[in-house]
Amino acid sequence: MSPVAFKSAVDDHVLAELRAIIGDDARVRPDQSSRAFRSRVPAPFPVHRWADHFPDVVILPRTAQEVSEVVKLANRHRIPIVPRAGGTGLSDGAVPLRGGIMIDCKLMNQIHEIDLVDRTVTVGPGINMLKLNEELRKYGVIYPDDPASYPCSLVGGRIGTGGWSLLGSRYGHTRDLVISMEVVLPTGEIVEIAEGGGRKLRKSSTGLTLKQLFTGHQGTLGITTQATLELVPRPEVEFAAFFAFDDYMKAYETTGILTRSGLATLAGVVLFDEWKIAYLRRDDEAYIPQPDSVKAVVAVAMYGRKCEVEPASKEVMRLGRSAGGKYLGDEISAGDWASRHDRYATPLHGRDLDGQAVLMSWHCEDAALNYSVLPQVREEWHAIVARYREQYGIFDDWGMFAYTSGPYKPWADYLVEIDVGIWEQKLNDENWAAWVSCKREIAEVSLKYGGSITACHGATREGDAELVPDEMGSAWPVVKAIKRALDPNNIMNPGKQSLDEAYE
Amino acid sequence: MGDQELQFAERWRDNAYGCFSSGHKFCREVCPVMQVTRNENHTPTAFHASIVAMEKGLVEVADVADDFVHCTQCGACELRCPNTLFTGDFYRHRTRTVDVVKAMRALMVETGNEQPGWKLWNERLAQDHNEPVLGDVRVSQEHVADWADGLNIPIGGETILFVDCEAAFYRTSYTRAFAQLLQRAGYPFGLMREQWCCGGPAAEMGYQDLALKHATHNVADWRAVGAKRIIAPDPHDFIAFTEDYPRYFPDDYEFEIVLGIDLIHELVQAGRIQLTNPVERTVTYHDPCRLNKRKGVHEAPRELIRAIPGITFKDVDRVTQWSYCSGGGGGLPIEKPEITAEISRRRVRKAAELEVDTLISACPWSERPLSNAGHDANIGVMDLFELLAISAGIEP
Amino acid sequence: MIFRLGEQTPPPAKRITDTVIERLEHQYEVDPGLMQITPQQDMPVWDSRRIFNARWDHLDWMHAHFADEVLLAGEESETMPEEHS
Repeated sequence: MSPVAFKSAVDDHVLAELRAIIGDDARVRPDQSSRAFRSRVPAPFPVHRWADHFPDVVILPRTAQEVSEVVKLANRHRIPIVPRAGGTGLSDGAVPLRGGIMIDCKLMNQIHEIDLVDRTVTVGPGINMLKLNEELRKYGVIYPDDPASYPCSLVGGRIGTGGWSLLGSRYGHTRDLVISMEVVLPTGEIVEIAEGGGRKLRKSSTGLTLKQLFTGHQGTLGITTQATLELVPRPEVEFAAFFAFDDYMKAYETTGILTRSGLATLAGVVLFDEWKIAYLRRDDEAYIPQPDSVKAVVAVAMYGRKCEVEPASKEVMRLGRSAGGKYLGDEISAGDWASRHDRYATPLHGRDLDGQAVLMSWHCEDAALNYSVLPQVREEWHAIVARYREQYGIFDDWGMFAYTSGPYKPWADYLVEIDVGIWEQKLNDENWAAWVSCKREIAEVSLKYGGSITACHGATREGDAELVPDEMGSAWPVVKAIKRALDPNNIMNPGKQSLDEAYE
Repeated sequence: MGDQELQFAERWRDNAYGCFSSGHKFCREVCPVMQVTRNENHTPTAFHASIVAMEKGLVEVADVADDFVHCTQCGACELRCPNTLFTGDFYRHRTRTVDVVKAMRALMVETGNEQPGWKLWNERLAQDHNEPVLGDVRVSQEHVADWADGLNIPIGGETILFVDCEAAFYRTSYTRAFAQLLQRAGYPFGLMREQWCCGGPAAEMGYQDLALKHATHNVADWRAVGAKRIIAPDPHDFIAFTEDYPRYFPDDYEFEIVLGIDLIHELVQAGRIQLTNPVERTVTYHDPCRLNKRKGVHEAPRELIRAIPGITFKDVDRVTQWSYCSGGGGGLPIEKPEITAEISRRRVRKAAELEVDTLISACPWSERPLSNAGHDANIGVMDLFELLAISAGIEP
Repeated sequence: MIFRLGEQTPPPAKRITDTVIERLEHQYEVDPGLMQITPQQDMPVWDSRRIFNARWDHLDWMHAHFADEVLLAGEESETMPEEHS
């Protein structure tokens, strides 16, 4: 069988150059399986077009120097670079669109330094947060970057996507928890990107503050090769409580009450809508036996010192009940909260039009929206998915969540998620195009209500990417100018986020 | 693409999409091989994706054969996978990476993609009927029960003690300790007339016919001596007898299979084994993969350790240990000894961080690589049965 | 742990909701009628229990990973007060 052809200018000559740079053939991989198994991420994937998404060669670097030399080579030959950390993202940041050289940073997973005096830990991009925290525990500190992919995503990808954390309203998100980083720019220079000058400074006003720019660029402005992160005091206690409502609007109201409460140890509030509860009744032991009157749920969690959390918890119980909420009980509050740290949707949640359980891939929409528009967006999104489900049969509505999303500000905006199941085995060009169209309609609603089409996953897929210029609006020329200035040859994750427009 | 590959892809399609449709990779950080190689080719995600890729004509067996060698079949991934952990029991549908890896390895054998080390190993097994655990020194039926010299254990009876190849020929101290603990308790048992390898490792490496042949022989031998009950101290054998054998003989498998550690636990609780001698050691326990992850056995060994007078026990919980391994399983030490060595080195280093002098395991297959690593780190590695025997005052 | 093949078949089902049944204590299962397109696997009793026990151990572990103590309201379910929630 002939291997899938290279899409970019990678050829034997380039492979020889790469081998000379890396010096270890096992870390330069143009073989079929190395390419095939780094094509997708968990987001729904056009399986019928898998070969289109092969990288041409995979590099497993150990040092920033190696990354730098490979990026310089890519510039010389005009070959795309696709950075890949965990490959656990929910958009297409790490999915190759034009072949190219994939830089897979998983070998760079060391803890370089733990500084308990200035409260930082410095790591490679290939380390996972759960594994990092297993090491940090003995020092009484934690790095609380806590997405639903906590046990599997890697620090490099969290920086690339500008990740969201379940505990963000208390501890901040990735952008707030990363202090500084070493980045290989699209032209190959190795630079320190920080708030200011020093690696361990959190706030500065010297020069231009670049750190914000280099978190959440979806791999289009460079590759992180080292990061210095916050060390937060390990929480003494965790408090979680779940409240049930017979009406979504009461749950919605309670969400606002809790998030405006001014309680400092509040880490997160999660609003489950009616479709979500109906979906959870399919196979979640906490919800299966609940009476029909449980239509919507609000979950709330707090972390910190016992002397603060314990009294606050009494107030939370009062507030949670103040608009008709009924406590779901200790067992569910504890068990369901604990499951939030690895709450990816599993395939058998899917149901076809006859109610049969089928293996579906999970699309997690991740718009950012303000409180005032949540109920209306919910109605419009469910109507869109219902329409596509009815017409194509391979989509399924798995309900909506709204999560607190403002860093250190529970009262701010929300990560709003509609979860859509897609029966991947049934995909072909026609219903893939339908899916992209469905996705675009959902994103357009977010823009209509003054929101963002992505709070944290990145707008790197079809259905989102073409709306980036609209969302950026008057800032779009600035975005394009920056991209063009830093990446003159458009080699750093090209084709993502409509940034090709910077070169027109 | 051959018929065999297509049939294989069809047989395993459902399992493949169960993972591929998700692809979230909760398996990656608990996988002992992935922790060392950091190569996504070796993830269970890639293993399952291989099957979809084969069906789509994107890879052939030869493309993925080396990837599939990189697995100890410890079971961490398939347990940790949310498809198992959160909904596996609900749907009666879980991730089965171990089965997928075994099946692909069998396909590798069928399609001329045999691995050289495994090929040789299983050729020797086919001839000698026990695994070549002594390297160049050939093992034989003649010597399979030499470990029992002086113990006067009869042949046959209702209760048969099955002794693993590694334990019968290499780590005989383990076997003698276990047998003498039973004798001390007055628990009657006999040996097989002709004990062949359980066939488990052959199945793990893809040699299914050989595995079935050994299983058939063993079951016939059990029946011939009137056995009703088989004691399996070694976790690998326990898995072979409770998972492989029932699949081979679904309508005709009446035996009780007793896990050795549970039996000893029962006997200690009943006072039939008295742990009187103090053992002044500071120890930690290595949860063997095939007990903790594959079978959910983790309490009995810890209770036994706590029952030993004089011992200081620094424990690491069973969930943290889902990501621990010795690297000794699934044929990995034969084909990729350097990876096994690194996995064991890391395991022993974790023990060393606790400042213990001894790492206790409950699986003889783990003890060879752990002992090698322990030697370099100045940490003693012992089996739990050996430790209990000392405390019971049994001479080795 | 004593394994007997004859004991690995779960007891008969009792109905919980129109899509959920229960065979083993405290373990809900999908109504097999919904698994016609995705066939169920052969899952002996020991395996179902292993998964169930592992799930609860994992959730306890997750709590302890993030904080030293779990504080709860100390109150029962208000939606299903009579039953174990």
